[in-house]
Amino acid sequence: MLTMIRAIVRPEKADAVLAALMEAGFPAVTKYSVAGRGKQRGIKIGEVTYDEIPKVMLMSVINTADKDFVIETVMNTARSGGKGAFGDGKIFVSPVEESYTISSGVKETLYASEGVTA
Amino acid sequence: MKEVIAIVRMNMMNQTKKAITEAGVDAFFAHEAQGRGKGFVNPQVLEGARQGYEEAAAVLGAKGQLYPKRMLTAVVKDDQVDKVVKAIIAANQTGKPGDGKVFILPIGDAVRVRTAETGAKAIA
Repeated sequence: MLTMIRAIVRPEKADAVLAALMEAGFPAVTKYSVAGRGKQRGIKIGEVTYDEIPKVMLMSVINTADKDFVIETVMNTARSGGKGAFGDGKIFVSPVEESYTISSGVKETLYASEGVTA
Repeated sequence: MKEVIAIVRMNMMNQTKKAITEAGVDAFFAHEAQGRGKGFVNPQVLEGARQGYEEAAAVLGAKGQLYPKRMLTAVVKDDQVDKVVKAIIAANQTGKPGDGKVFILPIGDAVRVRTAETGAKAIA
């Protein structure tokens, strides 16, 4: 079974999260820029409210068995300071039914570490 | 309904658009993304890094190179999935690593804003 992890993190934390995932053995990640607001309705600085705060979305599809480990890795790296702060981001998890590698045309149900070569 | 997410090379966009239109899917959205894949590495090295061996982590490198890609998302009916996936693979396959990925995710419901139609009608 495969699972898609989508993590919205601070742009300045993206490199650290990518490095942590690489070190943890999850090299395959897609990154794109997004803008959004959260529960705090953006940031109010003086009179101006900023409600489209730039963030980075990191998307990775992994084996469901590794889900908790990956979430923990992302969470520990993306958190700012010891306790974390507003705006550190969110992690969303969705099921993936099928996955194909275009170069080989192979349909994958599990990734390489579980014995299926790509 | 299924959501088809394809990550392809940037220079393959035109032929991918053509291929999915020919496969019967007119609507999709796309944006730029950057990404890295398995990094052409040996699965044993990968497993070693996962288990915490420092040599394996060093082989993989602390930070992988990110390559520019395009990400396409289309919501299609269940019976269209196979056709679209085959079309995307046929249009993008060069056989070399870096051709990209296709993911299929379940979608709960869809609404067309103009008419408030839901379900299969909204994406027809």
